[in-house]
Amino acid sequence: MITLARRERFVLYIMLGPAILGLLLFKVWPIVVAFWQSTLSFDFRRQATVFVGLRNYVEILTDPIVRDSAKVTLVFNLIINPLQVMLSFALALLVVRPVRGVGVYRSFLMAPIATSVTVTSLLWGLILNPSFGLANGLLSKLGIPPQAFLTSPSQALASIILLATWRGVGYWMIFFLAGLNDIPQTIYEAAAIDGAGRWSMLRYITIPLLKPVFAFVLVADTAINFLMFAPPYVLTSGGPMGSTNLLMYEAYTRAFTYLDMGHGTALTSLLILIVLAIVLVQLRILRAHSSD
Amino acid sequence: MVHPAPRRRSFFQSELWLHLALIAVALFSVLPLWWAGVSSLKDSPRVFRDLSPFSWEALLPTDPSLDAYIALFTKTNFGRAMANSAFIVIATIAGGLVVNGLAGFAFAKFRFRGKEALFLLVLITFMVPFEVIAIPLYILIQTLGWVNTYYALIIPAIPNGLVIFLFRQLYASIPDDLIESAKIDGASWPTILWRIIVPLSKPASITASLIIFVYQWEVFLWPLIAANTPDLMTIQVALSLFQQEYQTLWDRLFAGIIVSVLVPLLVLIPLQKYYVQGIATTGMKE
Repeated sequence: MITLARRERFVLYIMLGPAILGLLLFKVWPIVVAFWQSTLSFDFRRQATVFVGLRNYVEILTDPIVRDSAKVTLVFNLIINPLQVMLSFALALLVVRPVRGVGVYRSFLMAPIATSVTVTSLLWGLILNPSFGLANGLLSKLGIPPQAFLTSPSQALASIILLATWRGVGYWMIFFLAGLNDIPQTIYEAAAIDGAGRWSMLRYITIPLLKPVFAFVLVADTAINFLMFAPPYVLTSGGPMGSTNLLMYEAYTRAFTYLDMGHGTALTSLLILIVLAIVLVQLRILRAHSSD
Repeated sequence: MVHPAPRRRSFFQSELWLHLALIAVALFSVLPLWWAGVSSLKDSPRVFRDLSPFSWEALLPTDPSLDAYIALFTKTNFGRAMANSAFIVIATIAGGLVVNGLAGFAFAKFRFRGKEALFLLVLITFMVPFEVIAIPLYILIQTLGWVNTYYALIIPAIPNGLVIFLFRQLYASIPDDLIESAKIDGASWPTILWRIIVPLSKPASITASLIIFVYQWEVFLWPLIAANTPDLMTIQVALSLFQQEYQTLWDRLFAGIIVSVLVPLLVLIPLQKYYVQGIATTGMKE
């Protein structure tokens, strides 16, 4: 570590200044703006923006649309996060062993990573199209009648879970692969000498040693899925019947479709608080892991 | 004693079941993009004819032509959107490497007060997904008068906690002696940075560039609200509009999807190692 002489302090400011000021301005200040804006409302009688305290929050929290949206977001996250964690772990187990052609398989599994969430939504919108989609085409070959998918209130959220999972698991698999490669091979060799089978090795060695990876992936994945926006925007406009109205999309429509910044930012502020709570958990996991 | 068990075990121990599982998963990963690829080489009537009623030819390239791609670039503003995204990517990488590289160096090598707190700021900002501050950031950008400008699309993306973190990791492994002895020899800070540090920065620079590239190529919510004019449209926003505009021109939609996936793929495949190492280590290692 280098200590700069007093007359050289400016070097530090030049190097650190732009990044720190940029982070403060573009990442931290917006949070302040969100909380400030959320206490304002446009008063039509006085034709002016007035301070209303917590009124926007009370209105948001008692709004049945927001409540339904929160429910949808909760269900979405309770399903998609464990699902993605388990699938990406299973995938990592499949491709970690040096079987022939594993490099090709790995590249195939990572192809969806190059597909943005927006393009994934677009592509799966065509796949799940009820009349012309590939999904109903393949189902017809299996003798299964066509499904409504994104146009059905009972299937739309599941369809979005499917497409987001298609895109997400290859990405999270990378973290499990890195974790698996960090486990020394000698542990398995010792266990094999003691007569441990494949399942007991998985149960008593691999999974316990990967606990920090599981925790990290679950939390980081949750932070992203909690704010999922593109699928409802591109595919369903939150419908049918609000069944895919995720909270981030609801916040967006409040702010930019109905131009209701007061309620839009109140909802955003609540999302910020939840995300910050998730991030604090994430930080604790990183800290616990790095102090090992 | 003849047992069926050893036979079965040998089946499970053989790699056959593993390959079957891998093929199934690989197929599921690639089939959507394969379908998009072959369909982009047909004309729209043909695409629909193969799909309803469904025939296996929907998954095969029959009479391939590049007409959809030609139409995509001549009859829509896709080319412009792609150029916009490319420009934004390049500008953000250029600014991002300098600004975050310098900060990463300061965090790795200098002793100063408040470092812990500032580094916590760095960590938190890269863990908070950008989407959640997009709406209030719009209010700030409005105050700055940057709505519908390239500034809005580039400048807020330059300071990047993840990239600072990456550079700090790299520079922490450079011995202090190397810098201090250059200092004793009378080298100025710009000389040290340019002659010693920059040449050592290649791995982190590649990783950081890839991360910035993927991020700016795929970003959607921010350009949608901050710069949604035909001239400034980014590739993702343009594609999301196509879906409404070209409901009957699926070949064009498929062509757009394929181009938008192919560009990052062509960059990522040769540099896969850097990207994978980058995201895996920033996730897990302090």
